[in-house]
Amino acid sequence: MIHSLDPRMNRLGLPETAPAAAKPALDQFETYEVFHQKKEGAPFVYVGSVHAPEADLAFLFAKEQYSRRFACTGMWVVPTSAITVTEYAGDTESAYDTLPLLPRSAAPAPVDESVEQEEAYAAGEEDYDIFHLKKRGKAHQHVGKVRAASPAEALQVAKAVFGEQRPVVNVWAVRSADVLHSEDDDRDIWATTTDKKYRDAIAYKVQDRIEKFKAENPQA
Amino acid sequence: MDPKLDLLYRLADDQLILGHRNSEWNGLGPILEEDIAFSSMAQDKLGHSLQLYGLLHELGEAEPDTVAFTRNAPQFHCCQLVELPIGEYDFSLTRHFLFDHAELLRFQALADSSYEPLAQVARKLRGELKYHALHANTWMKRLGTATDEAIERMQAALNFTLPYALGIFEKTDAEAEIISSGLFIGEDELQSRWLESITKVLGQTALTLPDLATATPVFGGRHGQHTEHLQPLLDEMAEVFRLDPTADW
Amino acid sequence: MYGSASTHDLPSTAPTGLENEDPILLAEFEARIARGEKIEPGDWMPALYRKQLTRMIEQHAHSEIIGSLPEGTWITRAPGFRRKMAQMAKVQDEVGHAQLLYSAAETLGKTREQMLVDLINGKSKYSNVFNYPTPTWADSNVISWLIDAGAIVNQLANAKGSYGPYCRALDRICAEEAFHLKYGHDAVVHMATGTPIQRKMMQEALNRWWPAIMTFFGPSDKMSVHTEILMRWKVKMASNDECRNQFLDMYVPKIWEIGLTLPDANLRKNEETGQWEFTEPDWEDFKRVINGDGPCNAERLAVRRAAEENGAWVRRALSAGKTHQYVRPLA
Repeated sequence: MIHSLDPRMNRLGLPETAPAAAKPALDQFETYEVFHQKKEGAPFVYVGSVHAPEADLAFLFAKEQYSRRFACTGMWVVPTSAITVTEYAGDTESAYDTLPLLPRSAAPAPVDESVEQEEAYAAGEEDYDIFHLKKRGKAHQHVGKVRAASPAEALQVAKAVFGEQRPVVNVWAVRSADVLHSEDDDRDIWATTTDKKYRDAIAYKVQDRIEKFKAENPQA
Repeated sequence: MDPKLDLLYRLADDQLILGHRNSEWNGLGPILEEDIAFSSMAQDKLGHSLQLYGLLHELGEAEPDTVAFTRNAPQFHCCQLVELPIGEYDFSLTRHFLFDHAELLRFQALADSSYEPLAQVARKLRGELKYHALHANTWMKRLGTATDEAIERMQAALNFTLPYALGIFEKTDAEAEIISSGLFIGEDELQSRWLESITKVLGQTALTLPDLATATPVFGGRHGQHTEHLQPLLDEMAEVFRLDPTADW
Repeated sequence: MYGSASTHDLPSTAPTGLENEDPILLAEFEARIARGEKIEPGDWMPALYRKQLTRMIEQHAHSEIIGSLPEGTWITRAPGFRRKMAQMAKVQDEVGHAQLLYSAAETLGKTREQMLVDLINGKSKYSNVFNYPTPTWADSNVISWLIDAGAIVNQLANAKGSYGPYCRALDRICAEEAFHLKYGHDAVVHMATGTPIQRKMMQEALNRWWPAIMTFFGPSDKMSVHTEILMRWKVKMASNDECRNQFLDMYVPKIWEIGLTLPDANLRKNEETGQWEFTEPDWEDFKRVINGDGPCNAERLAVRRAAEENGAWVRRALSAGKTHQYVRPLA
């Protein structure tokens, strides 16, 4: 057994020599993309991904990976495979310009909240959430919802509704039904970072101690 | 012992020791993301114990660091459940599930305590405890319905852990006064709420709750009787602290 | 916590493969970088760019997850609530940083599982400093302060690099590491200005760690064709010597002001050149350790292997009956 300086490792009982056979790779979980909301009313912004076998666990994981250190009031989790992505444009261009044109009978419009969900569903349409990347290297941000019959159509509708905005480096479209939202009832799970100053840089103020030491030890 | 002190010491010691134990998983978890989540909950437990030791300090007890880092096992009031080594993840998750359900319900009840400072702390912890229970439930449901291997492991862990979990509800001499003064609803009431709560979750899995009538609760912890694991844990925890008791670390 | 872009271990004779790339696409790619735009996963990129970035981000990720171990050594023994909770949070952050960086590397096409397996099988490198032990609490504090400080110098430079996902991960990592740096400094200052026992512990730990710290940024870069290309592509953002000099400039005065000494009689700043002078680190020893013969190499990998093996049943259970296929992260 390897004798470690870490008592935890000694309890694990690590073998002295590595097994001769190389470790094979296990199967990958699927990945989820995570969006957070910094404060009430602010748009949801992309923060990164987690690996998880299902949405519920992805949410548990995302919550601590992406909200433990900074203010957060809500979180969305989306299977990566559910996101439709456009080409990437340059920092001064619009990704909408490269979208292939699709025939569309009705004039596209943003989600009309007055139209009942059932009515739209009956027409084969669903809600899609649209995210824009405004600058390369920055993060995708939620710009709104559109109603469409397919992801490709959702991008077309988004182009009509949000296409005036510039620049738009990249667009993501995802069926709203595929977005796992944090519950309004669970708002209190986000309001816990304020008591955790021990993991905040501002909690560590040591200058007084240094000055005192220097005053007492002028030769140092 | 004064009923307030009696109650606070039990709560604080449970949180400290389990937080310490769970921190041992830091960097060794089964999945990177889970490693992070489990560490957060361990930190939360440490934070809870610190707040409770803070209340004890206001009542005239020593500083939290002194109380936590200088007592020996017989002076601890934690249940034996929290002292057990972390074992494998099946045990650690099962302990987390059984303990955190009791903890959530306990602090929900304490939000109405006649002792206002404690009620305030209990209300403040609500969001964290909710996440802990959500985490525990999601895992139990998932592993408790997964492969035969996982179900077998989780069932064995449940069978082993349950008698220790019943030790959470061990009463002390102060119990009657704790209830009559409105400090807390009491351990019997908590246990029945807890049983209902865990039964509901386990009902959604392939796991069976062992018969409580035949399980012998592991008592003693609330009275300073502990497993052989607690003193080594305390020695390890205080190894640096005791190097120089006059030092400010 | 990662020090150098380790391009130095590329043989200077290795082919760049650039002659096989489409010249028009290559010119567009280079023009984009020259304009200051970031490269995103959906863009065309030369094979060499993909390969070098994957390697660098992967090594960085490994350095975080292995780097959590020497401080993790003291996680159950941190003295007092404040330190105990902060030590936990810091080690947790390192694991979190590994997660972020593996995701960034995945966007280039290598799966996380493959990276973790390569690490365990000894096929990948990580920052060499983590092959050294932390025999006392003070050693852990030295890492929290000075290794993190070094890592921040490197990471702030890399955050200006050209690859979008890596920049996003680094922005988050640097924000989190502001806490590490302050926490580490706070702990070292408390020890250095504390009781005689504390001061002695801290000085001894610093003496033990200084040679490793001096190697953290790697040997002076050999200017090769590769280095030149990687700098033009903003994969490598600053030379190892520049990083080391910046680190010494920022931290040596802070070490000296709290009465600590450094075990190098030649260490001084040349005020005329602005460059620090020091005894050249023992690069032969560095090479020996990085190739597996350090005091903790075997343990570090054994720990990762044990964590993977002990968690395998959990992962098998979670994978059972899964309906979705793995898709690499988008950004």
